[in-house]
Amino acid sequence: MTVKDVKEFLGNIQPFLELDDDALDNIAGGVIVEFYPKNTLILQQDGPPSDFLRVIKKGGVKIFISPDINEEIVLDYRTEGDSFGMLSIIRGDKSRANVATVEDTICYLISKEAVKRLLDSHAAFSEYFLKSFLNKYIDRTFSEMHNKSLLYGGGDKLLFTTTVEELSSGNVVTVPQEVSIKDSAEVMSKRKISSLVLVDQDNLPAGIVTDRDLRDKVVSKGRNTADPVSSIMSVPLMKAEAKEYCFEALLKMIRYNIHHLLVVDGGKLKGIITNHDLMMLQGASPISVVRDIETRQSVEELAPVSRKVNRIVNLLLKEGAKAGNITRIISEVNDRLLRRVLEMAERKLGRPPVNYCFIVFGSEGRKEQTFKTDQDNAIIYEDPKSAADGKKAAEYFRGFSAFVRDSLVACGFPVCPAGYMASTPQWRQPLTVWKDYFLKWINTPTPDSILFSLIFFDFRPVHGDTGLAEGLRSYLKRILKNQNVFFARMAAVVVNNRPPLGFFKSFIVEKSGEHKDELNLKFRGASPVVDIARLFALELGLAETSTFERLRALRDKHPIITELGEEMEQTFEFISLLRIHHQIKRIEQSLEPDNFINPGNLSNLERKSLKESFQLVLRVQDAILELYRPGMVTQ
Amino acid sequence: MLFFQRKDKSLLQAIEDAEYTVLDTETTGIDPQKDSIVSFGAVKMKGGRIDIGSSIYRLINPSRGINHSSIVIHGITPSDVAEEPLIDAVLPELAGYCGNNLIIGHFISLDLKFINRELKRIGRTPLKNHLVDTCRIYEWLKSNEGSFSRHYSGRRDDLDLFSLAREYDVPFAEGHNALGDAFITAQLFQKFLSRLPGSGVKTVQDLLRIGKA
Repeated sequence: MTVKDVKEFLGNIQPFLELDDDALDNIAGGVIVEFYPKNTLILQQDGPPSDFLRVIKKGGVKIFISPDINEEIVLDYRTEGDSFGMLSIIRGDKSRANVATVEDTICYLISKEAVKRLLDSHAAFSEYFLKSFLNKYIDRTFSEMHNKSLLYGGGDKLLFTTTVEELSSGNVVTVPQEVSIKDSAEVMSKRKISSLVLVDQDNLPAGIVTDRDLRDKVVSKGRNTADPVSSIMSVPLMKAEAKEYCFEALLKMIRYNIHHLLVVDGGKLKGIITNHDLMMLQGASPISVVRDIETRQSVEELAPVSRKVNRIVNLLLKEGAKAGNITRIISEVNDRLLRRVLEMAERKLGRPPVNYCFIVFGSEGRKEQTFKTDQDNAIIYEDPKSAADGKKAAEYFRGFSAFVRDSLVACGFPVCPAGYMASTPQWRQPLTVWKDYFLKWINTPTPDSILFSLIFFDFRPVHGDTGLAEGLRSYLKRILKNQNVFFARMAAVVVNNRPPLGFFKSFIVEKSGEHKDELNLKFRGASPVVDIARLFALELGLAETSTFERLRALRDKHPIITELGEEMEQTFEFISLLRIHHQIKRIEQSLEPDNFINPGNLSNLERKSLKESFQLVLRVQDAILELYRPGMVTQ
Repeated sequence: MLFFQRKDKSLLQAIEDAEYTVLDTETTGIDPQKDSIVSFGAVKMKGGRIDIGSSIYRLINPSRGINHSSIVIHGITPSDVAEEPLIDAVLPELAGYCGNNLIIGHFISLDLKFINRELKRIGRTPLKNHLVDTCRIYEWLKSNEGSFSRHYSGRRDDLDLFSLAREYDVPFAEGHNALGDAFITAQLFQKFLSRLPGSGVKTVQDLLRIGKA
């Protein structure tokens, strides 16, 4: 452990990695190393202020306050690469909390004076300590994760790795530029090509004629088709070098608003490349998959298309898309797929006897699907006019929903283990029955009714008569007004799922043991945020169902979200992205995508961001506890 | 009695407050009568705090051959040190660096034999600082402190620096370098210091009683 070692260590952790080499040398040279056995109290609450910023080189500490003898509230756990004592250095009055080691710990001590000099001279350094964490670090974590994703399966950036040559069609059809427009057009239609290269006497390319030229310059202008084709050809010819990457070709097409490029190699004409070729290359683009879905005529044809969704996500991740956008695109693609299946069902079983609306809920309802998730759907249909009509409708939707369920399974959406699907009789009902369900769930406090509320109240229409879903939504809004008891119960559920801050403790103390804790990112990470947003949105009668939309709509409307909404959005974005990255990684290793992450696989920055996220959720939950406590019933 | 009173005062200082120089040397061979120093490294401690920036490291031209067996250990070849100053020029610097600190080292008395022989040769007073041997502290802790022995169970035969570093979870890179070894020794001593007060070793005098080289 020499100055060089210290410098190397500090140079890799926040906020020291912001420092230039000289500053780092300076700091490293002044470092003092101290060792504290397990359970050493380093700083004492209300004791003298810290004279050092301590960076943990090895081991871990807990930061806690003791409001009373025998009482201990842990505020935080810190581990290798974290630091403590900053606040007390800045304020200089007293230590605000106790800091004790939870295992044998080595700290690098940086003197108060050195820290103050850094604060004055390095903006990035002071920013780290003085600004709120989430605002600045999650962005950095994103770029870190993004860089990481570029590393695996790097061959996928097709536009950047495929040369023009590989894609161009080799056989270029040429005609002498003297031939007539009519003859040229005949050649094009006979050869089924969209462009023709015209050559001069020396057989060198002189220009190009495309479908567009025939349309724009001949047909619409009433030009004589006996004129020589050279009168309508486009010059100069735009060329792409054979060895160029397709991305360059695409740029040229966009820049000059053309669809064809001649491919040349050493000045010699080798072929032609079209925008269609480039589109085919991006076979995994969301647009192409959607277009693909629309053209499929049977479930058998549809199933393979749905498998492309993984590729889309991969591509989007690599292009740096945010989780919010990725889940929206996945939901959009899945909606189209579902709609296609429903159209097929209608075609197979005939028009339904009454209007209906196919709704989805759960993560699908919130447009927060990641990879293949369970089916969560139901049918609302128009109230039948007679008992006979009712029977007919029930009969129709029985077969209909069974077909939909099986088709979705074929497309890779497993059945819902709890049976929350239209194929369960209970979940395909007339509007009146749905209204009764909702009213009953709100008025009768059973564990089931709260559970159903959490799941079904995130519903949104996908297909059919959306008026039915809208009617149900506005009914829900009406009956939820002033239901304080119901909301208190819902709040109790919300605060019950506390993010596991202790997770970080186990990361500190059990990293070498065989009991390596894993964390369920969906239930322990994402769900608390989802639940909070739902609670507030329902209470304020908002129609939005996605967590992002809810949080945005709640700004200026709900005091807690007005204050912390932006951070909540970032937190949700971060947790979602972490989840997607984890699942993509699993898929690439041919494993089932799941939600369990091992803290050991997280980077220092990811771990830090996750911890900050949890702390934010805990803060909001505490605020909810205060707000709803009077009516709260322990579940 | 004045002399003893003054001496007593510094001996009664708490080990957490005392100032230490942790020292290591590399030599041309193992015979203190014939062999010479090719490098030394040292770092200061105040109590348990290692002052990283205070370290000192010097290469020395021994003006004689270096045993092959020693070159293998520390990796310093004659050509590495051909341009370096002679020991005569550097030793006073080392003496000044140590001041009246306690000098800590692993088998430190051997290092001091080399240093003092050279100091005498160039006509300067040998170092009379108190010497503390980390190996002796280790042995004392092993045999005297019940809980300590339980914690680090098993006596060992290899008392070399790296073996102890491994036992106490002090990170080290293989290969001897005087400064690197001084740092390892310092970290080892740091761990000992955190446990000694609990075993009744509280003052410099106590420390010398168990660890004097």
